[in-house]
Amino acid sequence: MKKLLVFLAVALPLCARDKVQLEHDLDQIAKVATVMVDGDVCQRILTPRALQHILRKDPRDQWADGDNYDVDDQAFITTKKTLMRLAQLANYPVDVNLWMPLDGAPGRIHVVIRNRYEMSQFWKWGDLTQPTPPIMQKVLEFGQRVGVEQKSGYVSVLAPVRNSLNNIVGLVEVVSEIRPNARENVK
Amino acid sequence: MWILRNSLPVLFLLAGACHAQQLRALQEYFRPDPFGGIVESDRRPGAEWLKQIDLRAARGSYASFHLVVNSKASADYKLSVRFPLPVDVYREWFHFNTPDSKYYPDALIPASLPYEFQIPDAGNKIAGQTAQAFWVDLWIPANTEPKMYRGEAIISTATAREALPIALSVIPAVVPQEDAVTLDNNSYGTSWLVNQYPKTLAGFRDSAEASLESEGRLIDLIHAYHRIFYENRGTFHQLGYGHAGKVGPEFAPELAGTGKEMHVASWDLFDRHYGPLLDGSAFRNTRRGAKPIPFMYLPVNPEWPASFLWWGEPGYEAEFVNVLSEMDRHFREKHWTNTKFEVFFNHKKRYKGFPWDGDEIRFTRDNNYFRVYHRMLEKAIPLNSPVHFAMRADTSWTAAQQFRELEGVISFWVVGEGELLWHPDAIPRLKQHGDIVWTYGGTPAVQKVSTEITLNPLRSWINRVDGFVRWQTVDPGPDPWFHLNGGDLTLVYSGERFNIPGPVPSIRLKFQRNCLQDLALLNALCTRDSRKRLEEEVVRRFNHTQVADWSNANAKLPAKPILDWNNADFVDALKPYEARFANLDPDAWLRVREFILDRAGKAQ
Repeated sequence: MKKLLVFLAVALPLCARDKVQLEHDLDQIAKVATVMVDGDVCQRILTPRALQHILRKDPRDQWADGDNYDVDDQAFITTKKTLMRLAQLANYPVDVNLWMPLDGAPGRIHVVIRNRYEMSQFWKWGDLTQPTPPIMQKVLEFGQRVGVEQKSGYVSVLAPVRNSLNNIVGLVEVVSEIRPNARENVK
Repeated sequence: MWILRNSLPVLFLLAGACHAQQLRALQEYFRPDPFGGIVESDRRPGAEWLKQIDLRAARGSYASFHLVVNSKASADYKLSVRFPLPVDVYREWFHFNTPDSKYYPDALIPASLPYEFQIPDAGNKIAGQTAQAFWVDLWIPANTEPKMYRGEAIISTATAREALPIALSVIPAVVPQEDAVTLDNNSYGTSWLVNQYPKTLAGFRDSAEASLESEGRLIDLIHAYHRIFYENRGTFHQLGYGHAGKVGPEFAPELAGTGKEMHVASWDLFDRHYGPLLDGSAFRNTRRGAKPIPFMYLPVNPEWPASFLWWGEPGYEAEFVNVLSEMDRHFREKHWTNTKFEVFFNHKKRYKGFPWDGDEIRFTRDNNYFRVYHRMLEKAIPLNSPVHFAMRADTSWTAAQQFRELEGVISFWVVGEGELLWHPDAIPRLKQHGDIVWTYGGTPAVQKVSTEITLNPLRSWINRVDGFVRWQTVDPGPDPWFHLNGGDLTLVYSGERFNIPGPVPSIRLKFQRNCLQDLALLNALCTRDSRKRLEEEVVRRFNHTQVADWSNANAKLPAKPILDWNNADFVDALKPYEARFANLDPDAWLRVREFILDRAGKAQ
């Protein structure tokens, strides 16, 4: 596990006020996200069939899980629109990503919705699921917002997403870059 | 007696020098290695070392061969070529290929003649290197007088000189400018350029905001990539957006406003990028001449120009129609009417940006999204517009179903080659509608037999599809010079290592170009000869097959619904077909070329 620096790291070339402002903005968005993102709808995004293929690796086909990845359109669209609106609370590039643990796969998590700039401190391009990072595990267990700076030049705030039973069913990663790159992730 | 006495040391010196070096040639599809041999995959009967080179070619084409200098002693050499027609000489770079730990020549470094070099080459850093190879292209302009042309390649040291005669018989036939098969070279975005050209594009690393000068350098490089593929009889596609809809700034006009107020705020960067490609001026100084690019991806995706935030609401359609209408008007004003502008969706839901697959649809309900975009496109573009917009779909799993369900919606199909050949009836049916039909696949790695790269173009011609896409052709990997990873994602290399501010070609790209020029000539022969007879003879010479063997209509497919198939099922179903094309000879294409030139000679 990479070293986590929870808002203590000396930032890259950004003046302190900018960085403080960025952290503040993202934290505010994350706070609102916990209120606005509907955990029940989020739980309907991944289809049972897709989950089945993720959990049961096909020894003959390493791409079978990706090829069978599928979502409930309406649940996905509803949630994505909420995430997009949240990102608009800042007047610079921000992504709000949705992450959820996988039922039936303890210790693993997957990004469920990403947004325009494809920013994330956690997602490795192309990975359908991944081990739950300890910092995410904390959010899922204790339900507190945390700031993260583990990837050079990025700032994220993680915040819990709850359903109607008051269970924490996922989290949002509100993320931005200190120096946004217009050509990054266009691939 | 005194003459003999005085001459003896000189004679001994010359004799020694002659033994120390040796100039030989190889036919193009036999690639040399750095130790005086031929790479294992091309080492078959017929791979002969030549003390003179005899070629035959049509006008408007290239004739190519390898020149190889062997030397066991370390020395400085000078290479020159005397020939009455234009000659391009490239030094062949020997890549250490990680998958099989062997050396292969692939990148071609342009060499100005006379060219001075050493064996072993200090830059290539090969222990025990005893041979340096050069790729020679003889260019025969279309207006060249048909006759025999002679010249020689000369290698010299401080003490010795050796010549290799070159003879080229130019026949009257002219290779058509138009290709029989469009060979498309695909790529994604521009971040790879920043990685491959750290000096040229230093401005992008040092600053978050690109300066006008940096943008200019980037655009020059993009144009250089278009040119290198064009000069080698290919087209180049560069997708300008990511899987969640982020658009690179040079791929789209700048937008302003939202909802019904959304509009184009600036065409400046877009026009600087695309203008010279769409009016052809980017190709002004090429041998093939200035010509607009025939195809171009638009930046349209579910998040551009309309924000996905409005999907399913009136605002989405308003934003889409506003901007596409403006595009149509702008392109008309610029007279960009020779290019097919593609509305193409590359995203996949596994990358979590959108809830549907745009590329290689597996779940047929996703076809509905194509219908929505087609309806909006029809609303945006007047029926009588001279600008050519096309909805393109890249398809595999559900190709046959999409052909039926999206008839009249999609007019440009890019289909997995294996899948398309299971449904051969679809090809004439789609083309009858005026649809464009291409297939897609990968690029043979360097360790494959040289002629492997001619298989897809020939198969496209035999099966009468319009083109073939190599899905990634500009990614040579992190260390292509000393640890090439097969090279199956690239056909060009960055020239920056050699102070060339642009891409350099590969031997495989040249193989492909020479195959395409032959196919263009072959296709022209069909106006006189029976195409079926030509096809039969070509495939017989290529790999001792019949045209019927190139069809896969009767393949045994798994008896289960497509959604229950996986890639292994696909591979298994294709195995019997692909086996027919295993073990190609390195001179397979040379046999085909001989036939084409014979027929072209008779047709005059």
